[in-house]
Amino acid sequence: MTRARPANRPWAARATLRLAALMALAVTLLSLGAMALQYRLVENRMMAAQQSLLTADLDGFGALYDQRRIIALRQAIDYRTAASTGEEILLLLDREGKVLAGTRPVWPEGLAPTGDGFSIEGAVIFEETGRRWLAVARQLPGGFSLLVARSLGPVDDTLTAMRRGILGLLSAMLVAGGLVGWLAARSVMGRIGRINDLADRVAEGALDARLAGDRSEDEFGLLETHVHGMLDRIQNLNRATHRLSDTIAHELRTPLNRVLQKLSRIEGQEELTAELKAEMRQAIRMFDSLLDISRAEADQGSGGGLVPVDLSAVALEVWELYEPLAEDKGLLTESQVVPGLQVLGDRNLIAQMLSNLIDNAIKYCSAGDRLSLQLNEAGDRHLMRVADTGPGLPEDIRGEAFERFVRAERDRGVKGHGLGLALVRAIAARHGARLVLPEAASGLTLEIHWPRLQHSE
Amino acid sequence: MGMEERILIVEDDAETAAAVRAEVEALGCSVDHCTTLEAGIAAATSTPYRVIVLDRMLPGGDGVEAMARIRAGGSTALILILSALGRAANRVEGLEKGADDYLPKPFEPDELRARLRALLRRGTMQVLDNDLLAFGELEIRLKARTVHVKRTHVAVSPKEFELITYFARNAGQVVTRMQLLENVWNLHFDPGTNVVDVHVGRLRRKLEEAGSNAIQTARGEGYIFAPKVAQG
Repeated sequence: MTRARPANRPWAARATLRLAALMALAVTLLSLGAMALQYRLVENRMMAAQQSLLTADLDGFGALYDQRRIIALRQAIDYRTAASTGEEILLLLDREGKVLAGTRPVWPEGLAPTGDGFSIEGAVIFEETGRRWLAVARQLPGGFSLLVARSLGPVDDTLTAMRRGILGLLSAMLVAGGLVGWLAARSVMGRIGRINDLADRVAEGALDARLAGDRSEDEFGLLETHVHGMLDRIQNLNRATHRLSDTIAHELRTPLNRVLQKLSRIEGQEELTAELKAEMRQAIRMFDSLLDISRAEADQGSGGGLVPVDLSAVALEVWELYEPLAEDKGLLTESQVVPGLQVLGDRNLIAQMLSNLIDNAIKYCSAGDRLSLQLNEAGDRHLMRVADTGPGLPEDIRGEAFERFVRAERDRGVKGHGLGLALVRAIAARHGARLVLPEAASGLTLEIHWPRLQHSE
Repeated sequence: MGMEERILIVEDDAETAAAVRAEVEALGCSVDHCTTLEAGIAAATSTPYRVIVLDRMLPGGDGVEAMARIRAGGSTALILILSALGRAANRVEGLEKGADDYLPKPFEPDELRARLRALLRRGTMQVLDNDLLAFGELEIRLKARTVHVKRTHVAVSPKEFELITYFARNAGQVVTRMQLLENVWNLHFDPGTNVVDVHVGRLRRKLEEAGSNAIQTARGEGYIFAPKVAQG
């Protein structure tokens, strides 16, 4: 009967965690898109800036070339080289490849001059020792090679910084999302956990258990209010059931009582009145059993009314009560009861249950059959076993033998009302004991696994 | 019983009250009858009764809950609860809350008579504190837990000894099966089968083999332990 109880841990709030993860992911993706757009924009802007710088350089050199050709170019480049910031490459070679002027001594490898104008058309990006350059290489008339390039370093540095920033921001967002998710899950589990604990206590029988404090105004408060409403209803129904069974008992027994009183005044027909009295006794036993079953079922799981009981002593008492009856019927009886085994229980109910079982066994067995009672410790439980070698349960009712009013066709002739085993089950459940019907070679074997009394004092 | 005993009936059902009154008067006692709990408590605390026959579901409340008020009012009466709340759990509850006996409705007049007799007798049983209960040739020694008939030891089981002791304490009166089950076995439910008969039968045979007819069947009612009559 023990259910796996979810731990009140934040990671048990899978739904909340999933939602938080989804939200964190969505926000992260949106931000990523926004940042990518901005990245592109910055990249384009900066490239355009470098291009316009390059264009200005080229325009300047073009104007000088128009005036005094190579000489002017050479002077201008020399002049610029002296004040070089390292952010540009200027190089002028003659027909033989000798450097006429420039910020560096060699022409970059793999860069072929194209065209002969001073426009930005056909600018290329080349990379050298890890740096990128926006370059325009020209073959001027007379075989002179001209290279004008602007460093893309500032662009690259800015973009690298941006990428680093974006990456950092994204990780921060993921961490924050996870943190928020965990906090939300923890808070949800805390609130849900209270309700789960309440449900557990109610399931264990404490129908009057309620959450302490005021209900909050949020959805959890609403849930708690509803759960409380539901529990009030269950509790009222339970009370009504208890009241109803008392009322039924009263309202039915009173007229039956009058019948019995009048029956006792009949004289001269002793046999008939004795039979009628026996029938009445049987009918009363039947509805007592029904009331006992519903009461035991209603009280199921609640520890209320249960006290420490010496199970061994009760078992022996009931056994000794029935043993002579079994012997008189010619049964071979045997009992093995380990003394001193304690349970939390109701002595009278336990006796009633065992009496039902043994009485049943005696009723269905015939001379020569064996009947045995065993009670011993088995792990964390006390194992009670009532076994006989009688006809056993017919296959067709095996599955429902513990239901009310279920009797085998075969047993129509035997006295009984089909409530004995139902009462056994209800009383077992009332004590948190487990009923087991093990396969037996012959007859009926029934095991009751009692929870041991915990010695907490 | 010597002087006249007074018995109070607190019962709202007229038919039941009449049946109880008939039994009480047959025992030679005088009867007062109340139909509500308040009237019953008032009567119980103002008049010394030997026995109070008390219903449970009465106008004004539950008889079992009223027992404390009756006791607090100074009554020393023995209380017999007579109630339609007759399940084992109800009976145990009533006895635990101080009732001296608990008889469920519907009841047979014989059963009620046997119980009333036992209660009326209870107040006069001090003599039985002796170690030896002797009934002519039948002797029961309480401390040694032995039974002798004509000086011959009769071997009885522990339960049989309790059985014969209960019989002896109610010698000369009808004892019902239900009384035996409640007082000797401390079981408060109807087992359906007459298991008690088997035990009484065994004890009876042992006594008869030793030469005593002390236990006799009271037709339809139960048993009667009447050793002196039997020894005649």
